[in-house]
This record gives sequence, structure tokens and C-alpha cells, in this order.
Amino acid sequence: MTEDPPLEEFLAAAEVFLASRYPRRESEDRRPFQWGEGSDEVRVFQEPDPDEEAEAMPRIRAWRAALWDAGFAWISGPPEYGGRGLPRSYEAAFTSLSRKFDAPGDAALTVSLGMIAPTILRHADERQKHEYLPALFRADLIACQLFSEPDAGSDLASIRAKAVRDGDRWRITGQKVWTSGAHLADVGEIICQTAPGPRHHNLTAFMVDMHAPGVTIRPLRQMTGGASFNEVFLDGVEVGDSARLGAEGEGWRVALTTLSYERNAMGHSAFGGAGILSTDRLMQLIRHAGLAGDPLVKRRFGELVTELRVARYAQEVTAERMRAGQSPGPEIALNKLALSANMARLGEFVVSVLGSRAIADTGQWGTYAWTSVVLGAPGYRLGGGSDEILKNMIAERVLGLPRAT
Amino acid sequence: MSAVRARPDLAISGEHEELRDMVRKLMTDTSSPARVREVMETKDGFDRATWSTMAEVGLLALLVPERYKGLGQGPVEAGIVFEEMGRALYPGPYFASVALATNALLCSGDETACSDLLPGIAAGSTIATLAMVEAVKDWDSPNTVRAVARRNGAAWILEGAKSFVPHGHAADLLLVTARTHAGLSLFAVDPADPGVETRALTSLDLTRRLAAVVFAGARARLVGADGGADPVVASTVERALIALAAEQAGGAARCLEMSVDYAKQREQFGRPIGSFQAIAHRCVEMLQRVEFARAASRYAASCQATGDDELPVAARVAAAYCGRAYRWVATENIQVHGGLGFTWEHDAQLHYRRSWASETLLGNAEEHYMAIADRLGLGRTKETA
Repeated sequence: MTEDPPLEEFLAAAEVFLASRYPRRESEDRRPFQWGEGSDEVRVFQEPDPDEEAEAMPRIRAWRAALWDAGFAWISGPPEYGGRGLPRSYEAAFTSLSRKFDAPGDAALTVSLGMIAPTILRHADERQKHEYLPALFRADLIACQLFSEPDAGSDLASIRAKAVRDGDRWRITGQKVWTSGAHLADVGEIICQTAPGPRHHNLTAFMVDMHAPGVTIRPLRQMTGGASFNEVFLDGVEVGDSARLGAEGEGWRVALTTLSYERNAMGHSAFGGAGILSTDRLMQLIRHAGLAGDPLVKRRFGELVTELRVARYAQEVTAERMRAGQSPGPEIALNKLALSANMARLGEFVVSVLGSRAIADTGQWGTYAWTSVVLGAPGYRLGGGSDEILKNMIAERVLGLPRAT
Repeated sequence: MSAVRARPDLAISGEHEELRDMVRKLMTDTSSPARVREVMETKDGFDRATWSTMAEVGLLALLVPERYKGLGQGPVEAGIVFEEMGRALYPGPYFASVALATNALLCSGDETACSDLLPGIAAGSTIATLAMVEAVKDWDSPNTVRAVARRNGAAWILEGAKSFVPHGHAADLLLVTARTHAGLSLFAVDPADPGVETRALTSLDLTRRLAAVVFAGARARLVGADGGADPVVASTVERALIALAAEQAGGAARCLEMSVDYAKQREQFGRPIGSFQAIAHRCVEMLQRVEFARAASRYAASCQATGDDELPVAARVAAAYCGRAYRWVATENIQVHGGLGFTWEHDAQLHYRRSWASETLLGNAEEHYMAIADRLGLGRTKETA
């Protein structure tokens, strides 16, 4: 067993790598928000312009390939699948460092790297791990998650998409919905019904080629007006048995793994790079609305900040415990519940400050843009497991309460 | 220089686990719910034998630096102890002596006073508390202190009245704020002095009694600089709020346990009430507040330990959140227990009383919200922010 390099040495090498390829950001990674400068977009969901997105993808793939070659693509991954085998703290340190450079980042790869890759690591066979893991971390392949269906939302186990066996091939037919990034993906983790029953034991997971004949992808326009998600139609799509993830009938367990990583990823974005929860930006909004001296606004601001900060502190405690090797349990879903509640609180607060500027665009910079929070908040309570489903899950698995009958 | 700031004290170390286990066992052995009910009816309201045991195992010396015969532990360790005290509704003067008095002496920076007074506190022979508040709403505002001290040779003479003094009825040492010609100052007063009259108040919280103290020509010793107590009071309150937040998180955790245990065992309509989503989801919301309260108090303690810039905000965030969380969880705990929860015999009411009293003791959430906005500089213009 070889010794890990000291963190300082590792970071020094990382800095050399980043600096050789990407310009350093003008100031520190968290450049203070400047009122009236640049775009006033308040980004709640990833709703990029399709053309800009298509242009960005080659740059993202090049970034991942370069990371791979330099040994920074999968810092905490097992070496047998191309990982570096270093502690998670190294990965976190690299991520922080890379924000100081104008590099593409991995925001578009959250599903691929944060949800599908860890699922493969846990459930795939050796051959599949070698096939998919290096490809995902190099971004040769981008993956999406094909779970929800029009008739299988909260009751995900009632999935109807069918995979029918034909020798060593499977033929998949069905409809999936709420698929983030399907239009960019090369492969999808799909859960299909492979037997009539029993419930939870009749599902099987596959990795399906998103470019295969019979796959149709349509953007799904959500109530914000943008389209972050897709509908995916599968009409007799053929996959080999070698694309099966886990045993036949084990699809529910595979899906649960992916879902737990999804909640973790969503909870983490509570203080992510989007900056929508930036205290500084909120204070500038209050000042520009001329309300900095209003005691009622001040009190409500203090209350909002309390909720936002506590969610962040809880995240930091979770992260520190993970770094110390204490793995979080299903209670990690509490962070996601906090995020959806905080989005709603943020919307309420901001509209109370904006007043009528929230119901019609006056053209004033940094005002109407906040309506994306109001319009996006209901989605946060649903995505990654609705608040109610998460509470059922936590009640059973964390508190040990009897299952509702 | 590392790109990521590690905060190892946010994770639970083996030593922290040992400390938690030790205090929990001590509380189980000496302060069971039945025992708490027994002693809360007595004149002192707590058990002197338990206090001696706590001194023996070093809990009273926890925050006292080694040079004053203490253990020199920090706010993170203290937070672990306060969480356990909060769970057990420990009715003795631990918060008064450790969170208030010890911190006040340490914040005063008065080496002589510390070396004279802290060893007794650490040994448990001196029960100390802080008499700071006078009238309602004045707790946070040193400018409204009306008690005055005048010099009399080497000593000082104190005149005035304080109220809402935690465990004031049992204290051997009072640390008192009073005004002098130089400004707000801190004094040490012996409550046995003929110029001091202490009266226990009928208190909402049956497990932490408050007292009123009248000073009529009481002899006092100046602690710290004459007129120098404003920052001492501010940092003492900040530290005490962090300790109180941990205590509140612990109390909330105990209420959640009571609710979950009951929801599993109580049957109505032929099934455990915990199988109803109305109850199960309420319990999850309680869990959320408990976990976040623990994280907030731990985070604030860690900020205090490392002198982090976030401390002034984190302390108030923890205070506001944990105060409200405990009160909400204690309230819902009664609801989950139904009629049983509303009886005198059930412990739910003791937590309910404690939660209301604790949330008000050092200022309530409304005041903390305003303080958070101030500390973030909301009132300031962009140029000066």
C-alpha cells in the first residue's frame, strides 16, 4: 500500500495543472455581487439556452478528458476503475481550488457523476464497471436517469415501462418523464418492469443507449417557462443482457441507490454556486428597494438568514463527518427538505420586498428576475422525491416508525 | 494554505463520544425524570450530592483554564455537556455557574479575580451566577442598567436591583453589572453580605429557578476595568447563548425520543398512531429541527473555538433557531401524547416550560433576528458595508 501524497503537494500539482489550461478568475472564487452589473438572472433550475448548451458541451468534455489524463477526474475513486484512490477531503480541496479558475466545471454532469456513477460502482459487475466508470468520468459518455413515468411518480415502484427478454437481448417499450439532460446523454439508467410481480421485486435496471433506434426525446416545458427536463419515449429499444445493471428483479434496490445520491446532490445545492441564496445579494436588493431601515423587513430578513444559515451549517456538519469517514444515513434527506422549504421562504421574502415589481417587469435591473424563485419553488418540493415521500422514508428508516398501512 | 478550510470539530471524535457517554450516564444515575421531579420541589430545587459528583468528575472545571485549576476545555466540549444537561432537564446551577459566571470571569480578563474565584467554581464549592438583567427588555442593553456602584476606599458599594437571575437563590457568588462614573462595570458580590437580599421567584421553568436580588449598600469587588464591562457583557452573552443553544438542542432531542417511542407503542383505531402520516410526518419535522438545532449549536461552538469571523452571526443564528426549535418540538411532543401529555405527571410539561423560559432568558428570536441583520450590516450603506 502506497502512502497518500501530502495534501499540500497534491494541491500544488493541481494548481500547476489548472493554471496551465485555464485563466485564473479575476478575484477570489466568491466575487462579491455587484448591483446592476451583468446579468440579473436568478437561476433556480438549469435552463440553458439549447444553442449555448450545445456549444458548451465540447468544452465540458475536453475539460473532463484533461482532468482524466492528469489524474484529477476521479480523485476519490478506486484505482482499479481509473480513480486516484485518495481521501474525499482531497476531492473537496480540488473542487474548491478549481473554482478559482475559469474552467467549465461539472454542473452539467451532476446526474452523470453524482448519481449514475456511484450507482454503477455499487451495483454493476466488473466488466460494466470497467466499461462505464472511466467513460463517465472522462465524459466520453454522459448519463441520464430514466425513472419517473406519467403513472409512476411518488409511487415509483408501479413503473410500467416493460423490458421483454428475447434470448440474450431485451426489448424495452415505455414512456419516461422528468428526465434531466436526456437530450445531452449518451446512456441512460432505466428501470423497467420485467415481471408482473411481486411489487418491488419485478423491476430490473439497464443501461440503455440514448442514441439507439426507438428512443425519442422531447423537451418538457415546466411552469417556469423553461425546459430543464425531457420526456423520453422508448419503442422496442434493444439492449443486450450485458447492459443489465444488477440481477433481474433487483431494479428497485438499484433505483434506491441512485435516489439517495440524488437527494444528497440536491441538498448540497442549497448553498451551491448559483448564488441565489447569497446574503449579500439579498441585502443589496433590500437597500435598493429603500427598505434597509424598515424594522419589519429587517426582522424578516433576520429570520430568513437564520433558516438559510442553519441549512448551510447542517450541510457543513454532514460534509465534515463524511470527510472524517462517518457515512451519513438516510437523514441526509433532511437537507433536501430544508432546501425546498428555504426556496419557498426566499420567494416570499423577496416578493415582500419587491412589491408590485414582482408581478410585472418594470425593466428595473435585479427585480422581476426574482420571480424565477417564486415559479421554481414548487418544483423543489417535488423533485428528488416529494416532501411527503421523503417524510415517509425518514419516518420509517430513521425514526423506525411503523409503515403506513 | 489549503483551499478548503477543514473544521474537524464539526465531526464527532472518539473523545467527544466518551465525554457524551460519561455525562449521559451521570445524568441517568443522578437526575432521572423521577429524581428531577423530587428535587424540583425542594427549597434549593436541586441536589447538592449530584453537584459534588459533577465537581468530582470535573464537569464544573470544564471551561476553567488549567492555570486556575481547571480542565481548559472549549465551547465544543461544553456544548456536548450542555446537550446532555438539556436532555435530562438537569435542575442544578450548571448553566449559571459555567455558562454565565465562568464565562463572565474569563471575558473580564481580570487575572486576579480569575485566580481568586475560578478555582472555587471549578471545585464546586462556589456556586456562581450572573445578575445582569433589571427590568423587562433591558437584558441586552447595558445602557439601561440602573444599578450603581461607588468607590469606598479599596472596596465598592452597590445599590440597585436585579432580576431573572438564574439560580440566584442558591448562589455563593454573584457577578453583577452596575454603572460607575466610568461606565458599565462588573462586580463580584457575596450574597451573604448584609446589603444583599435574594428572593426566589415563582418561575415558569420548574427546573431552572430565577431570583430577584436587591443590593442596598452591598460590598462589592470590581472585576475587570472600571467602566470596561460593555464588551465583557457582550461576549459573555454570546458564549452563554451558544451554551444555551446546545442545551435547547438536547432538550428537543429528548422530546423527539419521547414522541417517537410513544407513537410506536400507543394504539388507536387498532394500530400504532405512528403509522398515521399525520403523526409520522410531524415526527419527521421534529427530527429536522432537532438535527438542525444540533448542527447550529455545534457550528456556533466551533466558530467560538476557532475565533471564526462568522461567530457573531452564528451565535445569534444558533440562539434564534435552537430556541424556536426546542419550543416547537416541546409543544408538538404534548400533541403527539394526546391527553396524557397535558397531565402534570407527564414530563412533556417540564420540557414545555423549560423551552419557553430558555427562549426568553437571554433574548428571544425576534431580538436575535434584528441582531443578525445588524451584524450582517443590513442598515449600512453599500459604501460603508
